[in-house]
Order: sequence, then structure tokens, then C-alpha cells
Amino acid sequence: MSTLTLESVLRQLPPARPCLIGTAGCVTVGQTLEVAHALRANWSQVNGGRIALCGLPPGELIPALIALDGFAKELLLLPASTDAGTSENLMAQAGVTHILEAGTKHCRAVNDGCFEQTKGEPTRWLLATSGTTGAPKLIAHRLATLTRTVHRDPVRGADFVWGLLYDPARFAGLQVVLQALFSGSALVLSERVEFDSQVTALMRYPVNALSATPTLWRKLLMDGRISNLVLRQLTLGGETADQAILDALKARFPAARIVHIYASTEAGTGFAVQDGRAGFPSDWLNDTTRNPALRVSAHGHLLIKASLMPQGAEINARLNSEGYLDTQDLVRLEGDRVLFMGRASGAINVGGNKVNPEWLESYLRGIEGVLDARVFAKSSSMMGQLVAAEIMATEGAELKSLRQHILQCCRSELESWQTPALITFVNALKETAAGKRERLST
Amino acid sequence: MEEKIISLMREIASESGAELNANIVRDTVLLESGLDSLGFAILIARLEEELGYDPFTMMEEPVYPQTFGELVDIYQRFAA
Repeated sequence: MSTLTLESVLRQLPPARPCLIGTAGCVTVGQTLEVAHALRANWSQVNGGRIALCGLPPGELIPALIALDGFAKELLLLPASTDAGTSENLMAQAGVTHILEAGTKHCRAVNDGCFEQTKGEPTRWLLATSGTTGAPKLIAHRLATLTRTVHRDPVRGADFVWGLLYDPARFAGLQVVLQALFSGSALVLSERVEFDSQVTALMRYPVNALSATPTLWRKLLMDGRISNLVLRQLTLGGETADQAILDALKARFPAARIVHIYASTEAGTGFAVQDGRAGFPSDWLNDTTRNPALRVSAHGHLLIKASLMPQGAEINARLNSEGYLDTQDLVRLEGDRVLFMGRASGAINVGGNKVNPEWLESYLRGIEGVLDARVFAKSSSMMGQLVAAEIMATEGAELKSLRQHILQCCRSELESWQTPALITFVNALKETAAGKRERLST
Repeated sequence: MEEKIISLMREIASESGAELNANIVRDTVLLESGLDSLGFAILIARLEEELGYDPFTMMEEPVYPQTFGELVDIYQRFAA
């Protein structure tokens, strides 16, 4: 059997099928393949190389992926939002031989690292986990592990037009891209990442299938224009979907199929829930006929075992003796449902952006006037979770101005979602019996 | 209620360096008020601290408001 590549998938689709729709119009499957071929012809020197794709907009990234999958040994996907330090670190980890940057169409050689031409081996796709500490790790996928749960039905796919709201260099965005390419569905690309520009693109070429975080879905409902679309497929992922957003979407799009997916970069896509209820059915646990198989550990962590898992030391370290991966997601049984309770690490998920509490505490302690800090998740009906902080001030500090000072420091040095949304001043910080900082979300 | 919400919106906008629309009226579209969706989430959390409830966790049929007037109505409906 020949190796599964993006090109082999596209070759099986009708060439005249619409593929990518951008501001410049629609590009068919055949034209997309031509673009990819032209790129590959220019990139013959990178055959077998390890290539970093740095912050490419979707319209450039997708043809590059088609050109390089099965041609390069490794592809490192770096989202546009990755800062320079992190990019360098990840490129060093991956030992990249070439860099492809936005707008250049040129794979620039970065060192004299030797590499051999590939001989039909599947390309490794390296994705960075959304690092909460500024030190994201690389997870190695193959096209097969990335598309394990992607439906490949080009007949049905012809009826769908997907909108892309995520950065395609991240796991969630890549899933949308691969779903569209594998099913031969058209994919609408927004020129810019700003919300308004994205919604305008969705409306201009009316999409009928859309994937977004619950936070983004709430924003789309508040914006209201989305109601003019006839959506047939709605996917929620990236953070826990609560019952309220599922109900609100059902009320707005009663005929649509609404799916919330549990996925992580580490495990590949986990599973999809389609019954309109938060969490997933508890009878899925311990059912070994399911793929992936699911269990709950003694500590309440969700364990997952899929037939195709990504590889690497990072993954192997987290497998138990029976091959189950510890997702580090805390779950709780409630009646016939298993509900998600947040990360075991206490990591806070602000609308899909993750914040590491220890890291933020250490940052806050560095601010003049702050003696100590406790950072924890405050559940939010709008964003899943928000960052809350309890601060012990140094003696004699004037609290009102200290609060302003903390916010000012955070605003100039941190991302907006990392800045504590709620700050309270306390005389002592809560600790667990073991002397660890108490971080249960409230 | 309206005043309380507007004053919190001003506070959150100034903390985040955003500029709040000078004239917030019932028809003001929330996403055009100057607060982004994170600011709006912070508003709902701070209102919960002050009022003791979050109507968005209490609604039988969840609605996400588009205008300032709709937001105020939602809070008034659930005021004890």
C-alpha cells in the first residue's frame, strides 16, 4: 500500500471540486495541486529535510503542506503567535534544516545538518503543545494519527463548506483543514485573524460547517450575524463545552448536527459527543471495544488508549503499563455522564488559552509590593475559566494603588488572558494539607 | 442596575487599556462597546461578585445578549 499523503488524498477527489476559498476567489482541487507541485519543483533541495513552517497564513500553509507531506522528513508547524524565543527553542529541538516564512515561498537553509532523501516514509508532523510555562513541547504525528477520526466521504463532503477560525498550525485548526481536504469540502479562509474579518469571510461565502471553541461560539452568538448562516455542522472544541452553549446553539440552529469534541495535541483527537449534552456517557468508560478506550484513574484523571497514538519520549513517559495515556484532565462522574473538571496541573483554560498558575504566581511575586500570590481558575460562563489571584501584599502597601500597579505590570508584559481578571488581597494563602498550594477552581 | 454595569464596564476598560464607548445606551452593541470578549467575561465575573449571581448559569434557555439593553434585562430578570 502506498503511503498516505495529502497529495494522494487530493488526487482521489474530482479536480474541479472547490477547495480553498479566499478573498481572491475560489481555487479548485486541481489548481491547489498545481500550486503545490510548482512549490515542490522549487524546493527539490529540501527532499528529506526537516522544515519549520513559521507563521504562514492559511492560504500559504495549506499548499506548502500538500507540497511537503511525503517529501520532507519532518514538518514543524509554528503558529503565527509563537514568539521568537520559543520558535528558536522549538526549531533547535526539532533540528530543522530549512525555514519557510510567510510571504517568501523560499525554504531557507539554516545549517549544514545532514539529511537524506526520504524513501516513501511518512512525513513526521511536529506540533507544539500549547505551552503554559513558555516551554512548549513537540509532539510527533503522522498524517494517519492526525486524521484518525476525520471522516473521508467525498460524496457527502461536496455538500459542506467549512469556515476556518483557528490558526491552521495548531491542532484544532489543522483538524478543520484536514477534515475539509479529506472530504473534498471547500474551506473558506479569512484574510486576517481579527474576529470581524473572519465573520465577514464566513458571511461572504456562506459556510455551513464551522468549528470553534465554546468561547468563540458565545462571541459569534453575541455578534448575531452568524444567525444568517444555515449551519449544518457545528463543532466545539479546545475547551470544555458547557450545557448552556450547547443548548443555545441547538436553539439557534435546530436542524444542525452539533458535536463537541474532546481532543488534545498529545493524544490526537479523542472522541466526539453528539447527543447535545455536556461531558460524555459514562458507559463509554471501560468499554474496550471503543476506540479510543477510556478509563478513569484512581486520581480522577481521564486515561485514553487509541489504536494510533503519536510517538516520542514525551508520550511514552505518560503511558501506563497497559498503554493508556494519562490526559491529565480531571473528570467526575455525575449520573450517567462523565464531566470535565479542568486540568490536574491546575492549568487554567481561558477560552482555549492556557495559563500555568505556578508560572503566573512566580511572575506576580516579582512585582514590587507583592509578598506572595495564589493563582487559580475561576469558572466563567463566558470563557470557561478566568484567572483569579489572591495576593498577600508587603507590609504597609496601599492596596488600591498596588492593585493598579499589578494590573499595569501584567498589561505591559503579559497576554491579556494571562492577566488576573479577579484580584483579592488576603492576609494568608490557602494551602492543602500536604503543604501544596490549593488550586481547586471555584 | 444599568449604572452599576456601566461603571464596572468603565473600570474593566480602563484596567485593560481599552476605551469604552462614551455613550452606552440600550441599543449599544456589546461587542462594539469597547470591551472585547475577555473584558465581557470579566464583567460577568465581577457582577457575580457584586450581585451574588450569574444569570448565564441560571437560564433555562440560554441567550447571549447582543445589546447593552438585552444584558441589563437579563440581569434584572434574575435579580432576587
